[in-house]
Amino acid sequence: MMTKQSDDVIVKTLSRLLIPFMQIYALYVIAHGHYSPGGGFQGGVILAASLILLVITYGLDNTLRRMNEKLNVIMCSGGVFIYAGIGVLCLILGGNFLDYAKLSPLLGVGIAQARSLGILGVEVGVGMAVMAVMVSIFLDVATGGLPSVDALEKTSRDND
Amino acid sequence: MEVTVLVHATDQAFRILEEARKRSTEILDAAARLTAETQSLRQKKVQAMFKGARQTKVEAIRFVATFLIMFAFWLFLSGHYDFFHISLGLICCGLVSHASYDLLFANPRQGDMWVIVKRFILYIPWLFYQIALSNLHVARLALGPRRLIEPKIIKFKTKLESDISLVALANSITLTPGTITIDIKDGVYYVHAISKKVAEDLMTGEMEDRIAHIFMEADHVYVQDVLDVAPIFGALK
Repeated sequence: MMTKQSDDVIVKTLSRLLIPFMQIYALYVIAHGHYSPGGGFQGGVILAASLILLVITYGLDNTLRRMNEKLNVIMCSGGVFIYAGIGVLCLILGGNFLDYAKLSPLLGVGIAQARSLGILGVEVGVGMAVMAVMVSIFLDVATGGLPSVDALEKTSRDND
Repeated sequence: MEVTVLVHATDQAFRILEEARKRSTEILDAAARLTAETQSLRQKKVQAMFKGARQTKVEAIRFVATFLIMFAFWLFLSGHYDFFHISLGLICCGLVSHASYDLLFANPRQGDMWVIVKRFILYIPWLFYQIALSNLHVARLALGPRRLIEPKIIKFKTKLESDISLVALANSITLTPGTITIDIKDGVYYVHAISKKVAEDLMTGEMEDRIAHIFMEADHVYVQDVLDVAPIFGALK
């Protein structure tokens, strides 16, 4: 059911026009998290919502062509790695976990600037991880826990 | 004894000859097939080169157009116009354009994009005027006697073809008070109308004509077309 394309032309067209704007808005929320409300989690959820909208309207196979599951898993663990990596880097440089001020000699900028860049890096990591986890949960629900390739075959069999 | 040996030898010889003949025909067949295959492959390659070049060009145009629109949206959102944030924006717009350049322009028609945008902007004031008129009508229905309200579902076949024009008409109908698009199935609109007047207004098809004019579909003569062409005729005279 979830893996098929929607047959409503209004829903399909509007989501087609909306998805790129959703994605740029999500990236804006992530990238401006150290200045304004929002941040990694919120931006990641918006990004995941755009992909979920794509699955609902354009079907699973169309979505997986853009965003395969392997890349999704890599982003999931890569995001956590970026977050923890920045934290541990601060630890190695003699500060506390996520003590961004200690990054300033490494980045070659002042302490305030180093805090800002550190927060941005952490937010990128959090955004990636949240997006990937949301999408993978949704894919699991949509395919009934099957690997997505098998689920696609099953739907094509059902359609025949 | 000698005769049997002779017969055996001849037999053997014939068998070898037969084998050789079969082998050679097989080889000839394979050769012929190979040449045919290489020829068709070469043809396909040439075709693919031409087709690929055209496709790459279209894709590049779509990519650049998506990138520019995304970047304009980014600048509108961002509010920080320093080097750092602009470069972040460029990276993000590049990512989004790479991921979904074929979504925003699913079926582009090159050349007349600006005309469509211009006509669409000109269409908006007319739509607002219609919305205001229908608003007054619905307010009168709400305040007036009950018998004026005759809800019904009307059905009409459209001449519009592309998905974007279908959606534009559906949303214009829904935005106008008193009418709501329920569904579009195979080019047939199902619209809920609150009263007879609203339904009749819709069935005149003016809105559909205007949408067809914006997206240049369903060839028909329209006043604005004549007005657009008139200066050219004047210049020619």
